[in-house]
Amino acid sequence: MKDWYLILRWSWRDLRKYWVKVIAIALVIGIGTGAYAGLTSTANWRRDSNEASMELLNMYDVRFELATDSSVAAGELAAAAAGIEHAAWVDDTVERLIRPTQVDASTAGETVLVPGEIVGVDIIDGGPAVNGWYTETGSGLTAADAGEPVVLLEEGFAFHNDLPKAGTITVSGGVELEYVNTAMTPEFFIVVPENTTSFAQGTYAGVFTSLETAQDLTGLEGAVNDLIVTVADDADRDVVATEIKNAITELGVGVNTIVREDDPSYRLLFEDVENDQEFFNIFALLIFVGAVMGAFNLITRLSEAQRREIGIAMAIGVSPRKIAIRPLLVGAQIALLGVVFGVAVGVLIGSLMRSVMDTLLLLPVWLTDFQWSLFFWVAVVGFIVPFLAAAYPVWRAVRVKPIEAIRTGHLAARGGGLAPLIKRFRLPGDTFAQLPFRNLLRAPRRAILTALGIAAIMAVLVGFLGAIDSFVGALDRGTTMVEGNSPDRMVVSLEGVLPVDHPGVTAIAEAESVDGTVPVLQLGARAEGDEELLLLVEVLDLDNELWQPALAAGSLDVGDNGVILAEVAADDLGVDVGDSVRVIVPVRSGENTFRFVETDLNVAGLHESPIRFNAYMDDAALTPLGAEGVANVVYANPASGFDSGDVQRELFGLDTVGSVQKATAASDDLDDLMAQFVGILQAVAFFVLLLAVLMAFNSASISFEERQREHATMFAYGVRVRKALRMAVVENLTIGIVATLIGFGGGLWMLWWVVNVTAAETMPDIGLVMELSPTTLFTVVVLGIAAVALAPLFTARRMRRMDLPGTLRVME
Amino acid sequence: MIELLNVSKRFGDGVPIVALADVDLKVEGGEFVVVLGPSGSGKTTLLNMVGALDNPTEGSIVVDGFDISKASRKELFEFRRKTVSFIFQSFNIFPGLTAAENVQFGADAAGRGDEVDPAVILDAVGLGDRLDQFPHELSGGEQQRVAIARALATGNPVMLADEPTGELDFTTGVQILELLQKQAAEGRAVLVVTHNREISRIADRVVELSSGHIISDGPPAEGKASLDELHW
Repeated sequence: MKDWYLILRWSWRDLRKYWVKVIAIALVIGIGTGAYAGLTSTANWRRDSNEASMELLNMYDVRFELATDSSVAAGELAAAAAGIEHAAWVDDTVERLIRPTQVDASTAGETVLVPGEIVGVDIIDGGPAVNGWYTETGSGLTAADAGEPVVLLEEGFAFHNDLPKAGTITVSGGVELEYVNTAMTPEFFIVVPENTTSFAQGTYAGVFTSLETAQDLTGLEGAVNDLIVTVADDADRDVVATEIKNAITELGVGVNTIVREDDPSYRLLFEDVENDQEFFNIFALLIFVGAVMGAFNLITRLSEAQRREIGIAMAIGVSPRKIAIRPLLVGAQIALLGVVFGVAVGVLIGSLMRSVMDTLLLLPVWLTDFQWSLFFWVAVVGFIVPFLAAAYPVWRAVRVKPIEAIRTGHLAARGGGLAPLIKRFRLPGDTFAQLPFRNLLRAPRRAILTALGIAAIMAVLVGFLGAIDSFVGALDRGTTMVEGNSPDRMVVSLEGVLPVDHPGVTAIAEAESVDGTVPVLQLGARAEGDEELLLLVEVLDLDNELWQPALAAGSLDVGDNGVILAEVAADDLGVDVGDSVRVIVPVRSGENTFRFVETDLNVAGLHESPIRFNAYMDDAALTPLGAEGVANVVYANPASGFDSGDVQRELFGLDTVGSVQKATAASDDLDDLMAQFVGILQAVAFFVLLLAVLMAFNSASISFEERQREHATMFAYGVRVRKALRMAVVENLTIGIVATLIGFGGGLWMLWWVVNVTAAETMPDIGLVMELSPTTLFTVVVLGIAAVALAPLFTARRMRRMDLPGTLRVME
Repeated sequence: MIELLNVSKRFGDGVPIVALADVDLKVEGGEFVVVLGPSGSGKTTLLNMVGALDNPTEGSIVVDGFDISKASRKELFEFRRKTVSFIFQSFNIFPGLTAAENVQFGADAAGRGDEVDPAVILDAVGLGDRLDQFPHELSGGEQQRVAIARALATGNPVMLADEPTGELDFTTGVQILELLQKQAAEGRAVLVVTHNREISRIADRVVELSSGHIISDGPPAEGKASLDELHW
């Protein structure tokens, strides 16, 4: 017991002696374990938060959506549900009236005109029992609001447009409504309209109100068109769904059944968790591996300094097992400190992640408790590594004869490592120029381990920053192409496919605020090649003066049988410019109906947008498509002196217009989302930078201690401190260059993997290209080379204050 | 060449440990002086102060006309480069450099890298055939010869040796002493610190220290012996 106490106290002295390095190594472990735990925790948080939010608002199990334009009298759908054979399995039912609308939520400074939907339910109890409305502060609607022009506005829409918590909006028909609060509801946790890649939280408005108000606004007096139900835990949901569907069908209306897992918001919310987590897992693992390598190297070197003490212990007959206790105890205590730091770093990264997630996804419940079970396993590895690192030099030391371990002077002179290999190779300059390289080669294992530890971190950094660059690059390319030579271009969606000479369409071109229009027919199509892809084909006059897709290859002269694809689409299909591609396109068979026809199109060009499903054809193709002279979209350019808000306002009043958006609206939204995502990456990159600096500093500090006598000898010969520092800098510079080159190579491989494997799997509709910005290159070079090279400067003070007589007399 | 006047050195606060007390010493160029004393007598402290590795608490030290007790840090570095050269008990030669490169280091440090041919100096210390050997490929005696050659390469007029034979066997030790004697014969002031009384027999002068005081200073009591007469 006494022995243990002595060893423990001794180990504390060791820790105190090397306290700066101990803290730095513990921080390395802490950042590695904490970053891993923090980054990988988000999946659990999001799953838990999603579930809890759904639970809180009692999301439906089955939804029954009546066919377009169908409705029944209020009470009929609930009665149908109540009348089924297994009615006892139904917990709650809520009848709704849901109708599309246009929403004008413009404020003094900003025009906000978007499509949206009115959702009306019975609010006698303050809100729906299924798919409830969650108001963060204040109250929602009360029974007194029934039939009044009072609504709740969807929280995400309000948030993304910086709208106040209460105000007024105008919906189709010019009706002004007072929104008394903002609310969240499960179907709007994520809003993704068809044919877009991005969330549409800011460009699609949910307006929640009483059933009576909704009926008034839509002119559907006493009607409902939607039923949502929850079923008992032990119920057979499919049976309930089938029975209710049959019961509704008997009412003489068509009905579409949607189960909870197929709800777009629910599905994307959970899919998104997995996709995002794949990215974070990769980076978390790499940071962890880098930190583990760094900690291993540093602790090994720290323990190697005790070689002679181990020899002395062996000489006086202490058993190797007992000898190992102290260095292992030191390793354990460093590890323990590292684990404590890991919790702090994990919590910090977690809170950063949470703050970003909170903005990205508005959920009523966020469960972001520290993931102890996840952290535990990381901490176990973080704890074991210093043990192994400490054990290795101990194992080496106890294998030599005690006399060799304690021997001093020339007999203990270590081998020259690889230095003899270059003794014939002299660099220009004096011996001061040779020494740094000789020192590196003299201890190749140490130099390589140091370089690899830093290289691992550099690789993470290159991979990390490169991923950010690639995402941002893709966004920029997309935005650049969408803007073209008409950056203010507006996309006007028509209410269906209309002849271009329809008064409602010509009115767009004639609007005062519009100068120049291009009719466009947007078609969904399917291309077949190496893969099957869904395409959103825009058929327009590619010779128009307003906007053309920017091409990376090929030409705009596509004729009536050519198509312009995204580069990533061409890659996935296995085609190139000049090849033909099998496409199943809709051919117009009636005024508003299409049938699908298989045809071979010539790949005339590849456009620069990273969005895979965007494809373009010339309006010459409208004839074979049977769609000559029709359009469902119009591009409109604001006239001089008018802005996008003016165009939105003027066109909003046209019956034929479904929505008016800036062409860049989607990419602006995506930009905002990416900014948040990039924010997370940058926060983590900061920790990676810190990791690299800590490792460089520690490495320099340990090197300084290993070379103390050499430095003292130099100073005894009058060599100035700055010259000794210069040599240390050159030595570190060499390590930094080698580490950066290796790290750069590793980072490029990682980036390739993220872009071409992970991203290709998790976000196939975005064509990422490996990109490294000058800022990234600069950061990597500055950090990997300059920071590592300059790390010895931290030892300048200790060099200046070195006790020369004492150091020179210290035996090996 | 070396002149110490009333030099004292105390270590620690409170009740200080007196390493040297009121030491007066003068060594001329060409003199081979052995500073003798038991462990803790202050001999290494004396050497360190003459070599400007440490500074006295009191008194003045003038070496080659330069008062190092009043010199700035920068001047002390300059002094070490241009005036003194060290030989250590544990050699302290650079393991990453070959024998020739270690010698070249001495010349480079003194700013006379272009004037020195390491091969000539190593030949002079009997290592003409070991130029490209690394320290771990040399015996202890050879390593100490490299250290002496490095000191010689500086061309500095004062050579300070701290227990230069401490880690060597007798035969090798004698060879090293012969080399040091030769440096004195060439005009350098050579100050050798040792606890080995036998070595003092070949000195021009023996300065004996005890508890920080010089207790004797003069030629060897039994007259100067030749190297052949040494034994330990």
